[in-house]
Amino acid sequence: MFDFDLTLPLMMAQFVALVYVMNIVFYKPLTKVITDREDYVRSNTTGAKEQLDQANKLAEQYEQELADTRRQSQSTIASAQEEAQQIAQQEIAEVQKQIQAELQQAQQELEQQKQSAFQTLEGQVNTLSNQILDKLLV
Amino acid sequence: MDPLVQAASVVAAALAIGLAAIGPGIGQGNASGSAVEGIARQPEAEGKIRGTLLLTLAFMESLTIYGLVIALVLLFANPFS
Amino acid sequence: MHYGSLLLDSIGFFDSLPLAKLEVGHHFYWHIGNKTVHGQVFINTWIVIGLLLIASIAATRNIQRIPSGIQNLMEYALEYVRDLTKAQIGEKEYRPWVPFVGTLFLFIFVANWSGALVPWKLFEIPEGELAAPTNDINTTVALALLVSLAYFFAGFRKKGLGYFAKYIEPTPVLLPIAILEDFTKPLSLSFRLFGNILADELVVAVLVLLVPLFIPLPVMMLGLFTSAIQALVFATLAAAYIHEALEGHGEEEAH
Repeated sequence: MFDFDLTLPLMMAQFVALVYVMNIVFYKPLTKVITDREDYVRSNTTGAKEQLDQANKLAEQYEQELADTRRQSQSTIASAQEEAQQIAQQEIAEVQKQIQAELQQAQQELEQQKQSAFQTLEGQVNTLSNQILDKLLV
Repeated sequence: MDPLVQAASVVAAALAIGLAAIGPGIGQGNASGSAVEGIARQPEAEGKIRGTLLLTLAFMESLTIYGLVIALVLLFANPFS
Repeated sequence: MHYGSLLLDSIGFFDSLPLAKLEVGHHFYWHIGNKTVHGQVFINTWIVIGLLLIASIAATRNIQRIPSGIQNLMEYALEYVRDLTKAQIGEKEYRPWVPFVGTLFLFIFVANWSGALVPWKLFEIPEGELAAPTNDINTTVALALLVSLAYFFAGFRKKGLGYFAKYIEPTPVLLPIAILEDFTKPLSLSFRLFGNILADELVVAVLVLLVPLFIPLPVMMLGLFTSAIQALVFATLAAAYIHEALEGHGEEEAH
């Protein structure tokens, strides 16, 4: 069981040779490909992160623009509304004034007609009373 | 082979492996108990504890294996035959 | 008693009865000059090395950025051993040691599993039997000595002769223990791997001898598990020894 012989040094030499050959055919190429892949993944991740940052920035910019536009449109709407209200009020006031003027005119005319009617009536009353007086005195 | 040497070798081989199993048995029991305690206390560390436990168990086991090697020497490569 | 004698017979303890089913210590010798080598170990080692090289070449023949199939598997293996080495040696100095530690892990892992998964009994060789290369003490001692050389090399390359300062670093009184450590390290490494693999195969063989069907299956599963763990332990310890040689004794005690 414990018979050491030439197996031992030959095994050592064989193993050292195995380490050398494995270093060439296994460790070096695979280590290289793993580090390459890590670099690739890392650069890709940083690129993706940059793009994500850019996209985020763009989205922020768009949002800001959107908010600006909304604010602008709201102010436009407000000013338009105000203008419309002003115009409406003005027109209403004009119309009211006109109506009032017409009303006044109508009243004046009415008054005039009343006056003239009164005058004619008074004249007629006078003539009638004169006639009645005449008849009574006759 | 001298029958006396033969008998003594067999007894010695049995004693070697038997005695060599005592200490590692106690040690492995202690280690496993502590590992279970550790897992019960901190279940999220189970993987790490198990790995370390297996490694230490292998180390303790090797003490018995040394006894086994002595037993095998006495049985198969007896230096006194 | 009958079983006992059968068992002892079968593991070749008594030569009286030719019931040998389990063979330990029988080798298929090749002669090179006036030296001998264990042929069955070399046959299996070449198979294991061939498997590793074929898998590696298949994985790297047509390298894609998005891996698939065998390339994915081997990249997983590479990342596994790289993480193992990094965990032991540290971020700064682990790179040059990945091939050594990783090949240790992959070789031992494939060797152990080849012994457990392939029914080598089907292939007849003149003497001994084909099994995992790691159940021969020569293989494990060779690997353990390489680990020793590797950590001496690491220490020398890092600190030159100042590496020996670690033997008398806290106090020269511990010099014998420090020197003894250098011997116990490869000894324990090699015996741990050898004993585990041989014990697995023996236990499975004895159980198969007693109950040929189904009963040995759980033990075989345990054997697969142990084999994988032993490969991991060997590679981890190798990396830890290299780290210790790189760091030096004083810093080692600091953390």
